[in-house]
Order: sequence, then structure tokens, then C-alpha cells
Amino acid sequence: MDLKNNKLIIICFLSSLTGIALIYVAAIRMQPATIELKEINSNLVGKAVTTEGFITYKSSHPAGHFFLTISENDKKVQVPLFAGFMSELKKVGIGEKDFKSKARIVVTGTVDEYRGQLQIVPRKVEDIKIIRD
Amino acid sequence: MLEILFVSLLGSSFGIALGLLPGMHINNVIPLILSLSAFFNSPYLLAIFVVSTAITQIFVSYIPSIFLGAPEEGTSLAVLPGHRLLLEGRGYEAIKLTVIGSVGSLIFGIIVITLLKDVFGYVYEISRPYIHFCISGVAVFMILSEKKAKKILSASLVFALSGIFGVMVLNSSVLSSKNALFPILSGLFGLSLLVANTSEKSKIPSQQGDSRLNISKIEMIKSIFLGTVAGIMVGLLPAIGVSQAATLVQLGGGEGRNFLVTISGINVANEVFSLISLFLVGNPRSGASVAIQTILGELSGWDVVLLVGVICFTSGLAAVITLYLGKKIPKFLARLNYKMISISIILFVSSLVFILNGPAGILILLTAISIGLTANYLGIRKGHCMGCLLLPSIMFFAGLNPLIISILRI
Repeated sequence: MDLKNNKLIIICFLSSLTGIALIYVAAIRMQPATIELKEINSNLVGKAVTTEGFITYKSSHPAGHFFLTISENDKKVQVPLFAGFMSELKKVGIGEKDFKSKARIVVTGTVDEYRGQLQIVPRKVEDIKIIRD
Repeated sequence: MLEILFVSLLGSSFGIALGLLPGMHINNVIPLILSLSAFFNSPYLLAIFVVSTAITQIFVSYIPSIFLGAPEEGTSLAVLPGHRLLLEGRGYEAIKLTVIGSVGSLIFGIIVITLLKDVFGYVYEISRPYIHFCISGVAVFMILSEKKAKKILSASLVFALSGIFGVMVLNSSVLSSKNALFPILSGLFGLSLLVANTSEKSKIPSQQGDSRLNISKIEMIKSIFLGTVAGIMVGLLPAIGVSQAATLVQLGGGEGRNFLVTISGINVANEVFSLISLFLVGNPRSGASVAIQTILGELSGWDVVLLVGVICFTSGLAAVITLYLGKKIPKFLARLNYKMISISIILFVSSLVFILNGPAGILILLTAISIGLTANYLGIRKGHCMGCLLLPSIMFFAGLNPLIISILRI
């Protein structure tokens, strides 16, 4: 490994670290857009959004997943809470029983489409807030 | 019928252009293709366009990999053995080996997938809870395969850098995960190589005219078999890429001519399985299959028959075109200025990233190029940059995403 190569490695390594640091700063400063449930459509797939609605359907999966459907003015969107997410929720004292039918929740997450159905997939515990039972 | 043939030919033409352009992959242009849906009479025609483009691109992409040293991720490990043959004046033989590997694997792959179609869904379901162990095992094996302590350390560093980079980008709101893959993969695997190429000058020696293959039939069949099995495993298991599978196969003793047959077999079997996996396991396993799912939704058995028919037709066409170009292109390349080609492609891809993803896309692209160049200058395999997908996948399948994202507050 010659001197020139070593310098190039250091330059590239440092610029990689700088890039990752800048992306991190951008990530913590960037807030997902708050939009109404009716505005969620397939054009938003992959984007992070915050929205709210009433729980109109819920179901448990043997693998530990918990699925909610939230609605607002006839518009329905699924909110899948996967097993890993549910165990994190349990650590802060929230379980399946806390998601009561007709409760109003605010959810932040990535819009996704699964088998033709729109979903909002929350990523961390703070992304789900039960605001009214 | 005529419409299907016409759209297949159109897709093949597009696939040739994509395959010949270094740093370009069908994943880069899927948003563009989907935006053209208004120009197609039915969603099936758009799906046929995607399939024919994807298959042709795989066949043709060995030409820039071997002749320009400018591969995409799936063909990156083919550069070394292919280039060695090119420098021996056997560039056409290298291309012919990749075509034989691709066609052989297509035929063998369709037979294997048809025979075992009922098993895949079951294997997929029972392996899901253990996928993160499997992916971690592959990552460790890949890093240790560098053998020397210094290189193992370098590979660990690049894997960690790429992994943290992937976690930041794919789990944050900086860019939608759908759009983020373009700058990530283009930077890590395509543009970083082209940036490094701009400081090197390469010259292609005059090529031998014969089309003899210096590999035994038994070796060839063995390589096709290995490529098909490895390709199907890549298609079945999430986040295991072609380069990881090729690395494992290479560690098993494959090199030179038989490795070219194997890696091309992995690429084709993986793409065929990924497209059919929509029907078999209800999950898309490649960029093209995500596009097919978006266009057609759930696939019926007859949809699969139609798509396999298009794959077979397009593969035959792509094989003939690749062999033709593999003979003609080296003659033209001697006249071109490599540096200018590389710079033009870097500018083109960067502009595309800016148009599609804005300044955030450029930041991600530059970071990815830096990580890719770090791997280049450390003299380790580019496959370690796959940490950008492997680490987020390990986190996801281990159920660690909510915890890590909470800690990072992204």
C-alpha cells in the first residue's frame, strides 16, 4: 500500500463519516408531514407521514403482530404493529388492550402498500399516541 | 400476440441500452418505466416491458463489466476473471461463457422451480424467524473470506460503514426508502468504480477470432447447476445478494471460466425466481418483481405462464444480441476515450439523482461514492458494501428496528 493510496483511503473514509454525520443531522431535524387520513394515497408510498383516525378494527396474529385499521370519513388505512414493535410498546406499559375500539390515535410512520391496501408502518414507540378512548 | 412481441422487442431494446450503460440498472429506471403506464394499452403490456428489459439487461451487462471494467452489483465479481480473459485476447470467450451460463441456468431454473414450486412457500415461511441468523452468518463468512487479518479488518470497517449508512438512510425520513436505493446502489457499486476508473488508463489488446471454449462439458454443467441453485437461494432469502452468493461459490473453489458460467447463472436464476416468487411466496424479491406487483397486483398461474414465456423469448433474443455485441464492441472500444465515457456517465447519473431526489439524494450519492471508494482503495471486495442492505435487514428480522430507531431518534 503506497503513500498516495493511504491518503486516498483516509480522505474517502473521512468523507464517508462526514456524509453519514450530515445524513444523521438531516434525519433528526426532518419531521414527517402531518396530513389528513383521506389524503393518504399510493403516491405517498415510502414517505413518512403523521396522521390520525379512529380504531375501527383490530386483530392479533399468533406470531405476536397486532393489526389495526384506522378510519376517518370512510377512508380506511391499516396500521400493522409487528412483534418487535409490540414488545417495545409493552416496555412502556402499552399492550393490545390499550387499543380500544373507537379510540382515536395519532400515528407517524412510513406509508406502504401491501396486497393493494395502504398501510402506515410506525417505526418507533413514540410514533403511536392514543389521544382519546 | 403481435402487441406482446412488439412490447418484448421494445423492452429488449431498452434492456440493451441499460445493460451497455455502466452504472445503470433496471432498479434505477423503474420509477420512470412506471410513469410511462399511460403509453401502454394494458397493465400486462407494461409488465411484459419490465420483464423483457430486466432479462435483456442481465445478459448485456457483462459487456461493460468485462470490456470496460464497469460492472453493476450483480456482475461486479465477473470483472476479474472476465478481464483476465480479455487481456489474453479471449474477451469473446468470456462473453460466450456468461451467455451459456445464463441460458443454461434459465432452462435448469425453470425445471427446478416447476418441480419444487410447492416447497418454496414452506421453506420461506419456516426460514423467516431465522433469517437474521442466516444473513449474519453470510456477512461474517464474507468478511472472513478476505483471509488476511488486515483485509478482514478493512472489510469489517467497510461493512460497518455501509451498514450504518444503510440504517440511517433507509430508516429515516430523509428520502423515501423506495427512492433511496438509487443513489445508494449507484454510488456504492457503479459511480465509485467509475470515479476510480477516471484515474486509470486501460487498453484492450487485439482479440482472437475463434469461438472455442476452453472448459469441459462436465465443468460447465456443474457450474450451471451451482449457479441455478445459488440464484434460487438468493431469490428466496431476503437481503442475500448475488455478490454474496457468488462469494460463497467462489470460496468453494470456483474461479476463472467456470466462475463466469456460475455467476451469470446466479443472476438469471435469481431474476427468474424473483419474478415467479410473487406467485410462489407472495412476496417480490427484486426491483423488477416489485414493479410487476405494483402493475399487476397478485399473480395468477396464467400470468406466470405468460411472464415465463416472455422471459424465454427475450432470453433467446438477448443471448444472440450479447454474442453479436461481444464480438463487435472490442473493435470499437479501441477508438473511444475511456475517461470521457466515465465522466459523462458520472454526470448523467448524478443529474438523474438530483432530478429524482433533490439535494438529499446528492448527499446520499456522495456518501455512497466515498464508502465505495474506501473499499476500492483498501483493496477488498465491493460485496462488503452490501452491508448497507444486510445490516438494516438483520435489524428488521431480529425485531430491533423500533429500539434502534428510538435510540437514534431518527
